[in-house]
Amino acid sequence: MDENYSVSPTFKFIILGIVFVGIITIGLGLYINPEKTWANFLLSNYYFISIIVGATFFLAIQYITQSGWSAMFIRIPHAIGMYMPVAAITILFLIFGMHSIYHWSIPGVAEHSPEIEHKSPYLNIPFFFIRLVIIFALWILMTWLLRKTSLKEDHESNLKYFYKSEYYSKIYIFILAITFSLLTFDLIMSIDVYWFSTVFAVKNFVSGFYHAVSVITLIVILLNRNGYFRDLNKTHLRYFSRYIFILGIIWAYLWFIQYLLIWFANIQEETIYYVIRTEGKWKTFFFLNIILNWAIPFSILLPARTNANKLVLIFISIILIIGHWVDLYLQIMPGSVGEFNIGYIEIGVFAGFSGLFIFIVSRALGRIPLIPKNHPYLGESINLH
Amino acid sequence: MNTAILGIYEDEDLMISALKRIRDEKMEISEVFTPYPVHEVFKILKRKTRLPLATFLFSSLGAILTYLFLYWASVLSYPLIFGGKPLHSIPSFILISFVMMIFFGVFLSVIAFLVRSKLYPGKKVKIHDLRITDNAFVILIDKKPEMSSDDIKLLNSILKEHGAIEVLEK
Repeated sequence: MDENYSVSPTFKFIILGIVFVGIITIGLGLYINPEKTWANFLLSNYYFISIIVGATFFLAIQYITQSGWSAMFIRIPHAIGMYMPVAAITILFLIFGMHSIYHWSIPGVAEHSPEIEHKSPYLNIPFFFIRLVIIFALWILMTWLLRKTSLKEDHESNLKYFYKSEYYSKIYIFILAITFSLLTFDLIMSIDVYWFSTVFAVKNFVSGFYHAVSVITLIVILLNRNGYFRDLNKTHLRYFSRYIFILGIIWAYLWFIQYLLIWFANIQEETIYYVIRTEGKWKTFFFLNIILNWAIPFSILLPARTNANKLVLIFISIILIIGHWVDLYLQIMPGSVGEFNIGYIEIGVFAGFSGLFIFIVSRALGRIPLIPKNHPYLGESINLH
Repeated sequence: MNTAILGIYEDEDLMISALKRIRDEKMEISEVFTPYPVHEVFKILKRKTRLPLATFLFSSLGAILTYLFLYWASVLSYPLIFGGKPLHSIPSFILISFVMMIFFGVFLSVIAFLVRSKLYPGKKVKIHDLRITDNAFVILIDKKPEMSSDDIKLLNSILKEHGAIEVLEK
């Protein structure tokens, strides 16, 4: 039961190689095309921030609802949460690339535009970074508290740790609701500084939760194929696929209401956001986004025959991992780079960041016991039928 | 004359263990009553339902019919431009199709369920025990002419063994 995940040296070597490739791409890209590199830097950073937020939110939800089925797997979101400090450090490098991404951050712009002038008490570089630091400090603190409580539970069988985790989870989701909204406004929505949407924060939050669950599912299945989680059965897989299925519907719902309201109201500064994205080369990605993030998962996970199959779930998870990238590419690039062009910078930067993410998370999984020992619902989770 | 044996349980897991045991004895279970759906029961009784498929088909039918109707109404029959939108404006059609999809799916499924299980208003139903309609998990086994009294005794003891709060013969 108390087996630890061990990272094989070859795997570690390959992953570090990918991280190295990413660093070289960023270096080269900053020399050749800094604007595009910074936009991709933001994309990859935000991608994994939303995955961490979604995964830790999943964890908090399991504690708050006192779910039994997932007790075995809670160490995976804990491990993903350990990427948070790294994400906090990498996002702060954005201070060097603000002008390439955010139109409002260029000095002197506010004098010519009353809209930016009006927003400037909130959208200015010092306050932007103060917010980032506060938000990440809160998140690191909360994920650390949750992890510490869960690890303490391993050494001492006592229900008080479970209640403590639940208590921290409640505080954490309260903090997330406010801070993640501000983070998406700052990092993504302020790229298109004249545009705004009231469901934007919820949409991105659900998107992060959705894709984080698919990442957790992928990790669980891959670990199971390598001989861990031997008690994984069809019902666990079915619950995971239900999470993905339901969140897919919510994602599509939020995507659609944002589109529908803007389309219906037809206000110039709002519709321009979608006009750009449904024309020219962006159009392919616009439809690809819906197909990857909703149509494929929805239609494949709908029949009961396919939704507890490991290979199907691996396929869906990979589709969603690509889909999240497509979704963010479509949100970030038109406003910052302005032209559709996928080249070595896109692939290299994202590969580098995913390598870093895999490296940190796999190392974290090796350092904490994979299955919690004294979780009160562990028996229910293992004997789930 | 008693026609059925009823095992009344208050716990889902106890009932399922009894069901498994009866299945292993190769006796036929006629009916299981539960306060909420228990998937395990489906598996043990090897029952199959096509109701989800029916719901899917009804919903698809509803969505397609509604879309065609909207197209007919706003493009063919009464082409009136309003709000600067094209006659065939897909996003607004999707919304109504979606709502009507739910409407068709829900209502026709309920009707299909009633028809399939031969239920209609005013039908006389034999309720073996009032707890069936309440919180109890009940296993019902019809007595057949070929059943010997030993079989019935065995059934009684199995049901009791697995924690039935009461075993009735009715």
